[in-house]
Amino acid sequence: MAKEVTLSGCAAAAQAVKMAKVDVICSYPIRPYTAAMMELAKMVANGELDAEFIHGEGEHAQLSVCYGASAAGARTFTGSSGVGVTYAFETYSPISGARLPVQMMIADRTLDPPGDFGSEHTDAMSCRDQGWLMGWAETPQEAFDNHLINYRVGEDPRVMLPQFVCQDGYFVSHLPGKVTLPDQSQVDEFLPPYKPPHALDTKKPVSHGPQIRPDQGVIMDLQRAQAFLDVPKVIRGAIDDFNRIFGRRYSPFVEEYQTDDADVVFFIQGAHALTARHAIKHLRGKGLKIGLVKLRFVRPFPTEEVAEALSKFKAVGVVETSTSYGGAMRGGNLLHEVRAALYDAPKRPLTTSFMAGMGGEVIPLQEFYWMAEVLAKAVKDGRVGKYVYWVGFEQAA
Amino acid sequence: MAVAVKTQTLSPIKKIRSVPTEEYYVPGHRTCAGCGPALQYKLVAKAAGPNTIFIGPTGCMYVANSSYLCTPYAVPWIHAQITNGGAVASGIEAAYQVLIRKGKWEGELPNVIVMAGDGGSVDIGLQAMSAMMYRGHDALFICYDNEAYANTGIQTSPTTPYGGNTTFTPPGPAIPEGKRLFPKDPPQLVIGGHPAVKYVATASVAYPVDLINKVRKALNVPGPTFLHIHAPCPKGWKFDESKTVEVAKLAIQTGMWVLYEWENGEFKYQHKPKEYKPVREYLKVQNRFAHLTEAHIAKMQAFVDAKLKAPGIPVEIPVPPPRATA
Amino acid sequence: MFDIPKEREVPFAGVTPAPVGEQPMMITGNWRTYRPVIDHEKCNLCMNCVIFCPDACWQLNEAEEEVVWNSKYCKGCLICVNECTTAALTKTYELDFEDGVVRLEKLF
Repeated sequence: MAKEVTLSGCAAAAQAVKMAKVDVICSYPIRPYTAAMMELAKMVANGELDAEFIHGEGEHAQLSVCYGASAAGARTFTGSSGVGVTYAFETYSPISGARLPVQMMIADRTLDPPGDFGSEHTDAMSCRDQGWLMGWAETPQEAFDNHLINYRVGEDPRVMLPQFVCQDGYFVSHLPGKVTLPDQSQVDEFLPPYKPPHALDTKKPVSHGPQIRPDQGVIMDLQRAQAFLDVPKVIRGAIDDFNRIFGRRYSPFVEEYQTDDADVVFFIQGAHALTARHAIKHLRGKGLKIGLVKLRFVRPFPTEEVAEALSKFKAVGVVETSTSYGGAMRGGNLLHEVRAALYDAPKRPLTTSFMAGMGGEVIPLQEFYWMAEVLAKAVKDGRVGKYVYWVGFEQAA
Repeated sequence: MAVAVKTQTLSPIKKIRSVPTEEYYVPGHRTCAGCGPALQYKLVAKAAGPNTIFIGPTGCMYVANSSYLCTPYAVPWIHAQITNGGAVASGIEAAYQVLIRKGKWEGELPNVIVMAGDGGSVDIGLQAMSAMMYRGHDALFICYDNEAYANTGIQTSPTTPYGGNTTFTPPGPAIPEGKRLFPKDPPQLVIGGHPAVKYVATASVAYPVDLINKVRKALNVPGPTFLHIHAPCPKGWKFDESKTVEVAKLAIQTGMWVLYEWENGEFKYQHKPKEYKPVREYLKVQNRFAHLTEAHIAKMQAFVDAKLKAPGIPVEIPVPPPRATA
Repeated sequence: MFDIPKEREVPFAGVTPAPVGEQPMMITGNWRTYRPVIDHEKCNLCMNCVIFCPDACWQLNEAEEEVVWNSKYCKGCLICVNECTTAALTKTYELDFEDGVVRLEKLF
């Protein structure tokens, strides 16, 4: 029987990986993701999970071990945070190019310097162009679910791509939340065993990853590009099955909250959506028609869904927890994507972005109120003042 | 937890005539004419046989072999980054362990062999190699040593000998000897700090029967093993491509390369000359050493003399070299 | 779907079949400037040419009791000539042969 328990995001991820019957796990300690590995280590030590638990000598090795194991036909799991994520950078493209559905948990952490334990999406977002699926969880429950959904989608023969399964460090990874653990039989129904198309098999020898000429390289790139075009329908199918088997109500790409009559919305991914929902409740009490649109996958970016969802509103405030120094929008990573998605929309809302929660700070309700004020003023003025607001460090709205 | 072990025993051979005729590293690869690393690959593949998976970190034996979506490997082969041969091998071995245990794969645990160059072994690849050995994976790590980063155009590596002229250590009036540093000692690096390793050996393309037997022994011994194979590079060392085997043999005759096995703490020499020729004999057949003066050669001879006292004894560099940037 | 011309197709993820016996997509016989020529009378089957060829271009024909040269892949390094113990192998200029140095139909 499914049962409700209280788990942190890390513990929830570990439970999901265990129920996915993972074969090879490769660890290396870095806060905050490391708590998930500690859980898995215990499960292996206690005999609850039959998997090879390899102590990698660094994040680069974690990914490399998973690359080899996945090519040999094993379901793999690894994870990291912050500078650990960027230390492994070399390995990401070879893994997606080899079409190995390695799963990597990222519990976000700021990048140095100097050392900061805080959560920021910059670590994962800097890897968004490496051919991996990528999306964030808002709660430990969503984290649990996303691990299973990502294995299912990534290992689908039409996809065969690795996945970054992200959750905000601390805000999700270490804060306990209610998680409904399903029956193993439900997980087995949802997630078939991993069947690699070309495992390293001495009975059927193949060569993986030979050198290519430039005219062949472009075709390999096209293969990945095509896979990303095919992913959305696979995600939709997986979410339908997931909702049916586990009794949830996920939308595949964007989730709307209080948007029916909204003039302005926050566009957001990850943990801070939870605070935003509460801010919206209070703001609506004061008569402001505000809602929220939450992104569940940033890769593949759901262009049409985002355009359709956002073009209904007068102004959209993209709440960023990562930055791209010197970018076209002066920093807002997600704003780049949102604006691009809206470019061809018949009706375009005003858009701006908010640097909030940077360095791993909490985004308090007051900051959401301030952001709402900026959006309201933009609607009144018919224009936004800036591409990006560093919340808490700007002169009056 | 159950650990799968190989039941195969690859038996030793006595003479060239009994070398298996099957090729698992087949003709049709873009390595240079007279390539030493290609020759050792052919011999290693013969020795290991069909139940083998090769991991090929970037290096000559990746770039020149697996050209344009065609490869000469008749057994399963996978590319690794130059950084991570040991880690990829670890993952493959671990996968086979768990898949065999869970009944998802039926058959013998394969020979897992990393075929890494000197850079992929003891320079940028050192961390991954060391960790594979520390963790005790049942895999053979081979460092085919052509003493330079050859496919990128002959740049110095940690195993390039003192005095080597490479494109990163060109001799000139300010630095007359070219390379000033003395090389790393790969087998001693492995032996010195990896208790899980029970078998380490050096080999040379000049002694193919010895090489084949060492590969087989390394594959028979459970756990991680290491081979350091001398593989002369006609292009990089600047000698005629027909002399690959001759140069390799001269290395052994002059003590520039020593053939030995280390098994459970015991050293055993093979093909040890009764009397060593002066290193000058070896240097003079390679143009990478053509610029060396008598003083440089004397320094090299002193280094070799010290090394020859016994394998595994730390060698004091005769004259500490000045910092490369000085 | 993208329109990829048939001749430019690349296998899924670049995974290619392992060769059997030889790799005919990388013919190297046209690299030679010299060619090893064998005098079977002088050959004592020491097998040095067989064992030392980096390109596996000498093989023993057990039935005929002689070594056989593979002109399709021999790069002409002449290690075999250098290591021959009975001087049965000699080097000969490639253009001295009627079939010497053919241009391949395609580059690789």
